[in-house]
Amino acid sequence: MTAKILLVDDEADFLDIMTEFIEDEGYAVKTATNGKEALHILEQDNFDLIVSDINMPGMKGFELLDKAAELYPSLKRVLITAYDVRDYINMAKNYNIGNIITKTAPFNFDEIRIFLNNILTGEIFGLGLYVQGRIHQTYLKKSKDLERVNHEVIEFMKSDYHKRKFRQALSEITINAFFYGAKNEEGDKKHLWEFETTLNDGEEVLVSWACDNEKSGVAVTDQKGRLKKEDILFWLERNMTKGEDGLSLGLRDSHGKGLFITRETIDRLIINIDHGKKTEVILINYEEGLYDGHRPLWIQEL
Amino acid sequence: MHIGTIVTAGIENKAFTRSLEEHGYSLISVDDIDAVLNITVPFDIMLIRGELLKEINHAVLEHLYFVNNSTPVALLFTDTTSIPATLIKKLQNSSLDILYDFEIEHETIYQRIDRFFINAKLNDHLTTLQEKFLMQKSLEKEISLREQILNHEREVNANIIASITAGLIIFDINGSTIVANEPVKQVLKNVSTDIIGSSYKALLPQEMSELVENVMHEMNAEDTRPYVKKCKIADTYYEVYCYRMLNYHNQPNGILMLINDITEQESMNVLLYRSEKLATVGTMLSGIAHELRNPLAIISARIQRALTKKTYEPEWLKKSFTSIQTQASRCASIVNSLLNFTRNTATNAGYHKIAEILDETLTYVDYQNTFDNISVEKEYDKDLMAYGDRSRFVQIFLNLITNAADAMEGNGTLTIRTSLESPYSTRIEINDSGPGMSEKIRAKIFDPFFTTKEPGKGTGLGLAIVYKIVQESNGRIWCQSHPGDTSFFVELPSEKERSYDSKNIARR
Repeated sequence: MTAKILLVDDEADFLDIMTEFIEDEGYAVKTATNGKEALHILEQDNFDLIVSDINMPGMKGFELLDKAAELYPSLKRVLITAYDVRDYINMAKNYNIGNIITKTAPFNFDEIRIFLNNILTGEIFGLGLYVQGRIHQTYLKKSKDLERVNHEVIEFMKSDYHKRKFRQALSEITINAFFYGAKNEEGDKKHLWEFETTLNDGEEVLVSWACDNEKSGVAVTDQKGRLKKEDILFWLERNMTKGEDGLSLGLRDSHGKGLFITRETIDRLIINIDHGKKTEVILINYEEGLYDGHRPLWIQEL
Repeated sequence: MHIGTIVTAGIENKAFTRSLEEHGYSLISVDDIDAVLNITVPFDIMLIRGELLKEINHAVLEHLYFVNNSTPVALLFTDTTSIPATLIKKLQNSSLDILYDFEIEHETIYQRIDRFFINAKLNDHLTTLQEKFLMQKSLEKEISLREQILNHEREVNANIIASITAGLIIFDINGSTIVANEPVKQVLKNVSTDIIGSSYKALLPQEMSELVENVMHEMNAEDTRPYVKKCKIADTYYEVYCYRMLNYHNQPNGILMLINDITEQESMNVLLYRSEKLATVGTMLSGIAHELRNPLAIISARIQRALTKKTYEPEWLKKSFTSIQTQASRCASIVNSLLNFTRNTATNAGYHKIAEILDETLTYVDYQNTFDNISVEKEYDKDLMAYGDRSRFVQIFLNLITNAADAMEGNGTLTIRTSLESPYSTRIEINDSGPGMSEKIRAKIFDPFFTTKEPGKGTGLGLAIVYKIVQESNGRIWCQSHPGDTSFFVELPSEKERSYDSKNIARR
């Protein structure tokens, strides 16, 4: 059955081009130019997904999605904005919204196609959904392998630009996956961690990587699925909020910085969670300058 | 010939009394002392028979005093042998002239009476002379005293005029100069004629003489506030105050002009404006950067769609190109608005649609996260115009809207209303549903450096600058505040000519 999408934006021109694109993708589309109209349309028809602009006159996107969730709990919800998503992390945390896509220039139709497909089908796992090239992968079982695997992935990157971008982010993400994700160590007891440790069978962390002509990507997957959207939003917000001394609140925390730093360095941080089963953190970096400055927020929980 | 009036009491010698009359005296004759009380006309001398003396009591003495308006009266007694010493003493103590114990020998009494009169007249004369002399003396004294005071006052006035560092110049009712201090000569250094006596038209630069002209036209107006005007002559900025001068009868009799050199202050103001303007530019720049993303994304999306197509239908192409054209123009106008704003012209005045400026201003700020939970209600009249500098209007609204959003701490309703207040003024109201201000705070909000924001969040210059800009735009600004309902009102001239201060003259 064709999925139905309600598209809300006060820019008629944008609605026009998006409708054209989404229909070409094989979905059915209806449009509204403000929150009130959107709620009215939702009343009359069943939709699978609402995609709403954030900054609209009258009702803002967050408010609209909040009302829509209250009325239609199964409706999937995505926000879209031309502005910097960083400015909305606080709202995202307050409304527990994990999906904000960005209107970029150049316009990233591929990404929107992937995101729409992911959210509508629930097929969210696998680096192959995001990167075209051949996928390399390895399992992390021993803590001493961390450095070696990271090194191998970095070496694979085809330019210094990508190497530089991934170096810190990758080590943050693999350590997180290994110690928090797989071993479930407590962040505030880092000094008690056993650094020389081996994961049990079925706990291994999978690291996969690939690249195509416009981007490189790495996926780090644990098999526990302990991460929660709520926690991620909490940490991101905490690291973006300044305390009285002008330093970010997150600086004081023993953990939670890694995700924030990764989001700040790598073009895309995508987190897919199947609770109790797996957490997949995907890092994607585009060729230099291609989609600079616009970082969608993409956290999906099945 | 009348010499004086004599009262005789109990004097029975008719020959004597007749001879007194022949001598030139008017006579009033009474028989006893009680009858004295009936005399109501003034007299000079009273002749009393000695035997009656004992009948003179206090009431009689008082009556003598009373009818004679307190002028001394001579009392002449015949045969005083029977007068007790105590009574004589009592009489001597009274202020009356007492002549007693004389025989009624005609010659003697005439002589004595005459002597009395001559003495009295001479005394009078002497007294008058002395008084006149004293008076003259004191007059001279007073005149010299007054002269001293006058000199002193003159000196004080001269000192005042000399010590005023502002230029001070006074014109009479016809516009001729009557007073001018040294600093004025500095201002009028190009004037070659004598300043005193010259007409203001011949002396003053045009901008200043216009001001005098204005005052001259309204010499009898009830409004007593001075005219104020800023003008620039060569490289110097002056602030000129013009007052009407009134005489004691409240009649206008001259014009007093104070000319202040405010070049230094003005250059500080320019710096202040510039820094505030830079802050505004900062806000606008990030707003513009954000605002450009929407049209750019649309343009890029259109082009990418076109690039991936295999065949092109003419209708589709036309639609795409129209959209690209529209969005590109939008980018251009967003960028232009910044250019317009930064262009440093003080007199970029013109007619502007207020609604357009308000909408533009909103786009600079409403992407900010402080606006996420603020709903903006626009109750505008689309066609209302205001006359002034567009970039200054943007600055006014940007400050007021930002303040409103800050006051609501990112939560509430921002209502913007416009209305035509009179045929000549457009009113803009910016209302927020924030907690409002106390009376104490409200009284201070337009003071420079006053802020209620946390340290580092505001310079406190915003509203002070807004106030100045509104004033210089010939408008006015005020504020009303209740919890949940705070409004800033700005009134801007909607017509250039009708604006009271079209020549940049204000009254304070």
